[in-house]
Amino acid sequence: MTARITDGGAPTAQDGVAREGAARIEWVRRHSPVLDGYVRRAVSDGALAGKRIAVVIHLEAKTAFLATVLAESGAQVIAAGSNPRTTSADVVAALRDRGITVVADAGGDQASWEHELRAAADLEPEYIIDDGAELTMRTAEHRPDVFGRLQGVSEETTTGTTRLRAMAAAGHLPFPALTANDARCKHLFDNKYGTGQTTLQAVLRLTNRQIAGARVVVVGYGFVGRGIAEYARAMGARTFVTEVDPVRALEAHMDGHTVGSASEVFPHGTIIVTATGGMRAIGATDIPRLRDDVVLANAGHHDLEIDVTALAHASSSIRESRPGVTSYRLGTKELHVLAGGALVNIAGGSGHPIEIMDLTFSVQGLGIHHLASSLLPAGVHVIPAQVDDSIARAKLASYGVRLDGVRDDQRDDHTTRIERSTPA
Amino acid sequence: MSTATGNAEHVGQDRIDWASRSMPVLSTVAKRLADGGALVGKTVGISLVLEPKTANLALALRDAGANLRVHCWSSSTDDEVADALRAQGIAVFARRDADAAENLALAREFLDYDLDIIADDGADIIRLAHKEFPDLVKRLIGASEETTSGVRPLQMMHNDGALRLPVIAVNDAAAKYLFDNIYGTGQSCVMAFLDISNLQLAGRHVGVVGYGWVGMGVARHAAALGARVVVSEVDPVKALRAAHDGYEVASLTESADRTEVVFACTGIAGSVTAEHVERLPEGANLCTAGGGSFELPMDYLAGLGTARSVRRAVTAYTNKAGRTVHVIADGDCVNCSAGEGNPIEVMDLSLSLQALAINRLAVEALNWPPGLYPVSEELEHDVARIRLQHLGASLEPVTDDLRAAMRSW
Repeated sequence: MTARITDGGAPTAQDGVAREGAARIEWVRRHSPVLDGYVRRAVSDGALAGKRIAVVIHLEAKTAFLATVLAESGAQVIAAGSNPRTTSADVVAALRDRGITVVADAGGDQASWEHELRAAADLEPEYIIDDGAELTMRTAEHRPDVFGRLQGVSEETTTGTTRLRAMAAAGHLPFPALTANDARCKHLFDNKYGTGQTTLQAVLRLTNRQIAGARVVVVGYGFVGRGIAEYARAMGARTFVTEVDPVRALEAHMDGHTVGSASEVFPHGTIIVTATGGMRAIGATDIPRLRDDVVLANAGHHDLEIDVTALAHASSSIRESRPGVTSYRLGTKELHVLAGGALVNIAGGSGHPIEIMDLTFSVQGLGIHHLASSLLPAGVHVIPAQVDDSIARAKLASYGVRLDGVRDDQRDDHTTRIERSTPA
Repeated sequence: MSTATGNAEHVGQDRIDWASRSMPVLSTVAKRLADGGALVGKTVGISLVLEPKTANLALALRDAGANLRVHCWSSSTDDEVADALRAQGIAVFARRDADAAENLALAREFLDYDLDIIADDGADIIRLAHKEFPDLVKRLIGASEETTSGVRPLQMMHNDGALRLPVIAVNDAAAKYLFDNIYGTGQSCVMAFLDISNLQLAGRHVGVVGYGWVGMGVARHAAALGARVVVSEVDPVKALRAAHDGYEVASLTESADRTEVVFACTGIAGSVTAEHVERLPEGANLCTAGGGSFELPMDYLAGLGTARSVRRAVTAYTNKAGRTVHVIADGDCVNCSAGEGNPIEVMDLSLSLQALAINRLAVEALNWPPGLYPVSEELEHDVARIRLQHLGASLEPVTDDLRAAMRSW
């Protein structure tokens, strides 16, 4: 039974903030059956007891619940933010309330964030759950001694994985690292369903526009692009895709989207969403092809997928036409960029759905547990398939879904068949 | 979404301007109304959801020469927009923080004036005028009604001989209900629930209670995001339609125990009952799409004595079975009370019809007997044609051969 959160006599303002944070973390717990059940049991076997684990992910309620589960398994958790703009004050207060060390505060900037990450390194973590390898890289620079003693890193993103692989290739990775993004329970769900749903949510909320009848161009047809294109079409949009990879472009075509070069599809777009993970997916040369009143949003990692610098350079005036909407005037046209070109679902929305992060953070929690309980060699590793499968099984069980195993008589034993049909 | 750079009034005006860019039909209609001059000197009272789109309707009517008064209930009031309208010199009777008594006082103050025409949403104001302002009702040329929830009681009033005004049922125009209710309310209610809850729809069991136009829209948008939709409906033809649209159809009593999100889309009081709430699984969510909290058993829920706020716009109750039930936005229509209402493009259609209906009342209705009147087909076609033109779509021309074929028998 949940405590009545409005109870309590004459609380201080700080108590109120912490209570608000605790209520939001409780809402996350309620919708995170895997992390709260299967993972909680698995990591409570003593393997994490006394281990110093730094959690460096967008510091909001979902991350706070992961930190709480790890702390309750006996770990000493150090929480820091992975982006100065996404740290939530009430969540920070609630975590401190429950005795977790938090080195981040809301309302910071790039400089204070750098300072926070160095403070996290100074607390000498043995394990890091990292986002973009931000703390791992800074620990190497700021505290090489701590870096040398690191026991393992579990990395959240593709960008961070690339950085870790580069460090390993250069011979500078003296510990094992796991790439959560390569787990199927992460990228098949988080990128497609999570980013897909919340990107559309944020675009519609920031603009108050309608999806039915809109012409949506998706730049990049990876997992994120697929999710956005699929949901947009299902809600009544006409969808266009531009992609440089021929196999993905073919897939988009067969999925029923209109595929073409950027110069062909951009002029159609009333909403254009970038999802390439690269830079300048909408660059200086594309700007003349955009229609008046187009809404530009980014769902990829880089703040520069929409080249806002080039856009500013080409514009005669720039104004905030509505909260979260920056309008660039180019001649007779006006183009609108959402959330300054930053990840629109995080900077302009409420981040991923909780159920999706239940999967992603289960990968992270079990990843750290795997690092602490196995003797992995230095280098970049993928979480074992059976751990990945166990998360999906637990999620299915929470839905009440049962699975069959494969019976012996259902196996296609082609070696036997070939032996039978091939004359000796 | 809190990157506001100026004061509330300034942000409100920015948002009104933003909406205006996507309302080409209203701006075309506004020019016609101003040229026609029928509204000059008329006092028009608008009681619609008070947000940036309706603000544009108010400004269009003002620019056509009308004297404007604007009212809205607290749960659908956007203070930024209210302040922006006040700054433009319009009398606004609405406050987001008004309690029940203040709400009623504001409505009475709004009506205590020589109004000529009223635009209503839910028929609340028309009913209040009939009860408490008989002289005003005598004076009024007529009213327009925006929603299904309002047209139904007005029809009942008329059947009982109690309606003393001509009312144009804007809601019943195909250019309204086929778009506003399906695409507008459908999209915005589903998205508002997701914004409030931070949850996911993919794989979730969603119960849509009532398969009218709003229910159809909610079902479509929820299914598009991966929900498993079960439709409950009392009308067998509508239920059959839901089955043909690919949804499971079952009574809420049967399906409640697996329904994780309930969208009440009926506009009828008591559509979701205490018995239904007792059957819901742990943590289920209740919202209203389109109508109001009267569709949910709010008295029963309040009587449980277990209400607690767990998150912005989320109240948890513990039912008699000991399970938690979350009520979103106090059961008020979720898209208006916790979101920004319908998308702009669809309200461009509905509010253009409103403007044309108000103008028609001023031009023609002086001697109309009480009753419900449709928006003329001609006005509907006008609205659709302007919108299509803006979309760059072209219409198939009606050739002489086609015309002859259509008339043949």
